[in-house]
Amino acid sequence: MREKSIGYQFERFGLVLVWVAVIAIFALMRPDTFLTWSNFSSIFGSEAVLVIVTLGLIIPLTAGDFDLSIAQTLTFVSMLTAILSARVGLPIEAIVPIALLAGAAIGVVNGSITLFFRVHSLIVTLGVGTFLHGITLWMSDSQTISGVERTLMNWVIIHRMFGIPISFYYAIALALIIWYALAYTTFGQQLLFTGRGREVGRLTGVAVGRVRMTAFIASGVMGAIAGILYTGTTGSANPNSGTSLLLPAFAAAFLGATCIKPGRFNAWGSVVAVYFLVTGINGLSVLGFRTYVHDLFYGGALVLAVMVSQLVSGRKERTL
Amino acid sequence: MNLAGHPRLTIRGLTKSFGGVHALSRADLTVMPGEIHGLLGKNGSGKSTLIKILSGYHRPDEGSLEIDGKPVALPIPLGRSEAIGLSFVHQNLGLLPEASVLENLIAGDHERVRPWFIDWGSEAQRARALFESYRLDLDPDATVGDLSPVKQAQLAIVRAADRVSAHKAHASPGLLVLDEPTPFLPIEDVRELFAMMRDLVAKGVSIVFVSHDIDEVMEITDRATVLRDGHVIGTFDTRTTDRNDIVAAIVGRSLTQERRVDAPPAAAAPLARVSALKGRVLGGFDLELRPGEIVGLTGLIGSGYDEVPYLLSAARPVAGGRLDIGGETLDLSSTAPAEAIARGIAFIPADRQKQGLALDLTLTENAMLPKCPSGVAGLFLNHRRRETATGGLIRDFFVKAVSPRQFGSELSGGNQQKLLLGKWLQLSPRLILLDEPTQGIDVGARQEIYDRLREACRGGAAVICASSEFEQLAMIAHRVLVFERGRVKAQLEGDAINKSSIELACYGETRIHA
Repeated sequence: MREKSIGYQFERFGLVLVWVAVIAIFALMRPDTFLTWSNFSSIFGSEAVLVIVTLGLIIPLTAGDFDLSIAQTLTFVSMLTAILSARVGLPIEAIVPIALLAGAAIGVVNGSITLFFRVHSLIVTLGVGTFLHGITLWMSDSQTISGVERTLMNWVIIHRMFGIPISFYYAIALALIIWYALAYTTFGQQLLFTGRGREVGRLTGVAVGRVRMTAFIASGVMGAIAGILYTGTTGSANPNSGTSLLLPAFAAAFLGATCIKPGRFNAWGSVVAVYFLVTGINGLSVLGFRTYVHDLFYGGALVLAVMVSQLVSGRKERTL
Repeated sequence: MNLAGHPRLTIRGLTKSFGGVHALSRADLTVMPGEIHGLLGKNGSGKSTLIKILSGYHRPDEGSLEIDGKPVALPIPLGRSEAIGLSFVHQNLGLLPEASVLENLIAGDHERVRPWFIDWGSEAQRARALFESYRLDLDPDATVGDLSPVKQAQLAIVRAADRVSAHKAHASPGLLVLDEPTPFLPIEDVRELFAMMRDLVAKGVSIVFVSHDIDEVMEITDRATVLRDGHVIGTFDTRTTDRNDIVAAIVGRSLTQERRVDAPPAAAAPLARVSALKGRVLGGFDLELRPGEIVGLTGLIGSGYDEVPYLLSAARPVAGGRLDIGGETLDLSSTAPAEAIARGIAFIPADRQKQGLALDLTLTENAMLPKCPSGVAGLFLNHRRRETATGGLIRDFFVKAVSPRQFGSELSGGNQQKLLLGKWLQLSPRLILLDEPTQGIDVGARQEIYDRLREACRGGAAVICASSEFEQLAMIAHRVLVFERGRVKAQLEGDAINKSSIELACYGETRIHA
């Protein structure tokens, strides 16, 4: 049986092994700067935002839709949070629900246009994302807004468990929820059929349109959560914060689909992929490479991930 | 028709077999210049093999081909048919609906149109002159998708005729093969096409007209050749031959096959009633179904019989119609598939790879999708139980599978179909709708599928099965409805059902039941 073959298990945990190997190589080269707990706890904490964006992406991806607006949802919500806190003076407890609603509303816009006008989600969300970035720049007058209430920072980055900022645990909790929802619920099955056999699903009674709409709303909310955490990480909002996150998130989503549950977008694969990618970049910068290494690494990883997943599915066909 | 000189097309001894089975066996065919020649035969008679050899798609095992007296080497290289004087219009017409009439007309015309500069002005002028010479009301600037179906057919035919007659490699007006261009057209439009075909032959073009419709062939052709089981049965002069002789040649004498139908259900209260069902072709279909009954629907291509399962299951938009089932009335024009399923309707589509199963998901995921609970229970799927249930289906439906965790794509077609049947029959449906349930499936699997359907009927369900395989209907159906142009043309019942009686009803003009 497939599950029991060593090859399949190797495929499942291949990326984890590569990650460990990468850590080992950098550790050997820079034992005193790279392989320190403070370096790793900062990686785990600061990249929680990227984990959440990636987790948000895989929901519509599973249903066969792209959400390119998720990074700008993050930027917009991050800015909204900063303005409501620093300029309007609302308490954080009031801001969080508003921010989440804003994310859901963006999902509704994406979903409505995609479904009602039958436009490909790639185009719709590209446009909506750019539009959101415009609003963000307008709202902030293209300035970084700082002076956010300290409570938010406490609950994102200052509080630590086992030395790792609490935001990491939020990301893990969300991964747990999404993993469960995809694997153990009727909605997860409906999402899967909507992406992999839309006509089969429709004829078996799945309300395909409603499932896709729900997926867009979920990714909007995930983008909003990431936005709140982003503001909490630095205590401020930068109007260009999300722009550099979209490609890494896509790279991680596709790379994640080559491991843990190969051939499918999956939560734990995404988490592993994000930390593999950021470990690589962190290691390279410790070695002294400059920022261009980000683009090389993320861009290369995305293309490589898609190639590998194609190879994986091709191999499946060949072993029939 | 000019009977002097060389024939336009001479085929001698054309033979082609697939895996030891003769699809075409020593076939001869002669078409004269300016002749309209019909090609008739059932599905699998060898018509399409013959055409695919002519278009260069198949390499024949034996046989020779001459055009205007000149031998042509076989196989014909793909894309070179126009250069030797042959041109084809297939049922799908090969037009790009988004493009204009003119763009479609010159598309792929590498012979005449220069690749580096298209003179749109003079091309449009040439197109107008061409349309005028065939008295066609076509605007070169119109978008093809906006044209009526008959205008699209005219465009495809005039394009094919122009391509071959204007070809520089020869001076022949050429031979057009029209492969079922009419089944979706109403009678008035068919007449319009016939007028165009007469204009074409008046210019010396020869036409091979492939059709299922004997009346059309009788009306438009000079002669017709009938194929059956890969053999040429004969070539008939359609003006002097009796229609029944042609029908006899097409149908032949078929062996009586095993018919295994349970006793017809006793006159019980109807299980379901279909009223005034309308679709694309289907115009007002009514049916009353008794529990335990298997009703077969059939007809020629385009007669609309195959729409019924898709409409009753709400898989396709319904123009109108009601379904009474289980004491409820469904307005099918506003029904979602989920509502039909909730009323006990199961639908097994012909396209199992796109509509039946998601092949890159596992057997469990596929088989258990209709069993996924809603509400709170939907938050706690038990994978072990789902896999056990799928294992049960795999056993009960004799699916040859290694594990419920396998991917659907790893099963053979027959086993996919059995799993699909299991996916739906586990719900104990009241009404089972099928379209071509045994397409591409071996004999053993077929019998198993039939047994399952009979079993469901014994449990009180009713079956509607659309099929183009008459033999299959003869084996399982209590009633067979034969469709023509969207309406029921004949109804066969009980012992009157056998393969030949269904064939006769399909091709014949007698109305057994209005």
